[in-house]
Amino acid sequence: MIGWSLDAGPWRAIWRRFRRNRGAMAGLVVIIAIAAVSIGAPLVAPYSPNAILDMVALKSQAPSLAHPFGTDPASRDVLSRVLFGGRVSLAIAVLAMLTAATVGTMYGAISGYVGGVLDDVLMRVTDACLSIPRILLLLTICALWGRPSLGALVLVLGLTSWFGVSRLVRAEIMALRTREWVVAARALGASDAHVLFRHLLPNIASPVIVATALGIGNVVLLEAGLSYLGVGVQPPFASWGNIMQDGADEVRALWWLSVFPGLAIVSAVIAINAVGDGLREAADPRQ
Amino acid sequence: MTGATPPLLSIRDLRIVFATAAGPARAVDGVTLAVYPGETVGIVGESGSGKSVMALSILRLIRPPGRIEPGSSVTFDGLDLVSCDVTSLRAIRGRRIGMVFQEPMTALNPVFTVGDQIAEVIRVHEPTTNAAAWARAVAMLRAVGVPAAADRARQYPHELSGGTRQRVMLAMALVLRPGLLIADEPTTALDVTVQAQILALLADLQQEMGMAVLLITHDLAIVATVASRVIVMYGGQAVEEAPVEELFAAAHHPYTEGLLRAIPRPDPESGRAGRLAVIPGTVPPATAWPSGCRFHDRCPFAWDRCRDEMPPLYALSATHASRCHLAAEPARRTAPRAGEMAHTEPRS
Repeated sequence: MIGWSLDAGPWRAIWRRFRRNRGAMAGLVVIIAIAAVSIGAPLVAPYSPNAILDMVALKSQAPSLAHPFGTDPASRDVLSRVLFGGRVSLAIAVLAMLTAATVGTMYGAISGYVGGVLDDVLMRVTDACLSIPRILLLLTICALWGRPSLGALVLVLGLTSWFGVSRLVRAEIMALRTREWVVAARALGASDAHVLFRHLLPNIASPVIVATALGIGNVVLLEAGLSYLGVGVQPPFASWGNIMQDGADEVRALWWLSVFPGLAIVSAVIAINAVGDGLREAADPRQ
Repeated sequence: MTGATPPLLSIRDLRIVFATAAGPARAVDGVTLAVYPGETVGIVGESGSGKSVMALSILRLIRPPGRIEPGSSVTFDGLDLVSCDVTSLRAIRGRRIGMVFQEPMTALNPVFTVGDQIAEVIRVHEPTTNAAAWARAVAMLRAVGVPAAADRARQYPHELSGGTRQRVMLAMALVLRPGLLIADEPTTALDVTVQAQILALLADLQQEMGMAVLLITHDLAIVATVASRVIVMYGGQAVEEAPVEELFAAAHHPYTEGLLRAIPRPDPESGRAGRLAVIPGTVPPATAWPSGCRFHDRCPFAWDRCRDEMPPLYALSATHASRCHLAAEPARRTAPRAGEMAHTEPRS
């Protein structure tokens, strides 16, 4: 790569503006805290997420000092499950969105740079994909798949989340490709691939990063929905969605099985969106 | 100039057409010219005369809907740039032919330091290490007269002044010591004093490197300063070609005369500051060139023949050519001089 690093030039200015945004900074603190306790779950969680503590005495206990988030019908500690579930839910969301950002960027970049008939065909394909309701598409794929592995879930979520990114990238590339510095780069001997990857893509890094950050929140919600419906993350893995599923038969009686993973989902998504919005404002000071 | 040395760049019958909604636009329509090693050729013309499009087409940088018509030929040092494969073309771009653009504000990539952008030209063409390329970039920046070059190299384009940015562009174009530099309006966007500095720098570098320069401008004063030979373009064609002294002393084509008179200065004949002469009308759109001579409806001397018959490039001497029927019928040149034509001469 041509030398550009996060501490240089435009990035430093973005960070300076981001820091002044209190909501975004609060979101950043919250998401870092959630990520830290999730990653550190084996250290901070009181129990193993799948430990069956006492099927008789500790079945479906309300929150107490010993079990702050209560226990589930299999007598497992819900706090531990929420912490371990955070690892799975966040990892799936981040990996799926990285997949989506990579695919979407490549697809959109080629479409926008090449233009013409290829662009027409590629963009009609994304239009068609965007016209299918996403949750319906995901439900169908996951249901057909049976019991998807975590890797399969990442792929399914990632490969259905890139359409928006590709349209964004295509529009940005189209706007940039006729700039004089692109002509200048070609005039001095740069190949098309070189112009696209080394000149154009770095120029659209900030909108892609913003879209990716906002997309992560969305994927957290989608994964939770799929897991709640039983077609997402499968046992033995805990995820925020399937913990809620464990209490779905008696939501009113076993409220702690919905409330605590629900709070985790809501606070993670709000924090991620706050960070994404903050990034967008910091990257584009005109807004 | 036209002795035994073969030309470095030879353009023959270059035609460039843009497909537009209003029909094909013949932006460049049969230009033939040659640039010899070490010389500076000026291309002069108004906006719309096709000069910038021609500059881009030399390195095949025209993109659809524009295209180079079959039959056009651009030969650089024996290689046909119109038909050669892309790899050979890329090896020429930046290494054998450098190019500088008009707008130093927009011709540099905003997200990379200028040092990176100069070093990148080296890396694209030569196997080298990043450190070596960087060192050469800084040295080149120093050579184009940027003070504190090592610090400037680490700055981004928006942190530099227009003049410095244009020096960076020159450094990018010249770092591999090309045999030919194409400079498209290199000083138009700059202050007059900076303009003079850049032109002086260009002349120095040219002397030192022995390269040829194809300088495209709308400004005859710039041509007078640096060029040895001038080609005047109008309506996508070369209308007059002459050594620079001859062009200023004895312009033949009425369009060239008009351009010379449109330079704001005291009238050389009356010795006092006269009214600023203008050439009536504007350059017609490239989709609808007039019949015959493309200048005829703006020309004070035009007669029937000019409307009906496209003038060939008449050779006035070994070095002077003009695309005007007055070369064949000099007696027609009796009408009012170009200085008054805007006010007194009825349009044909």
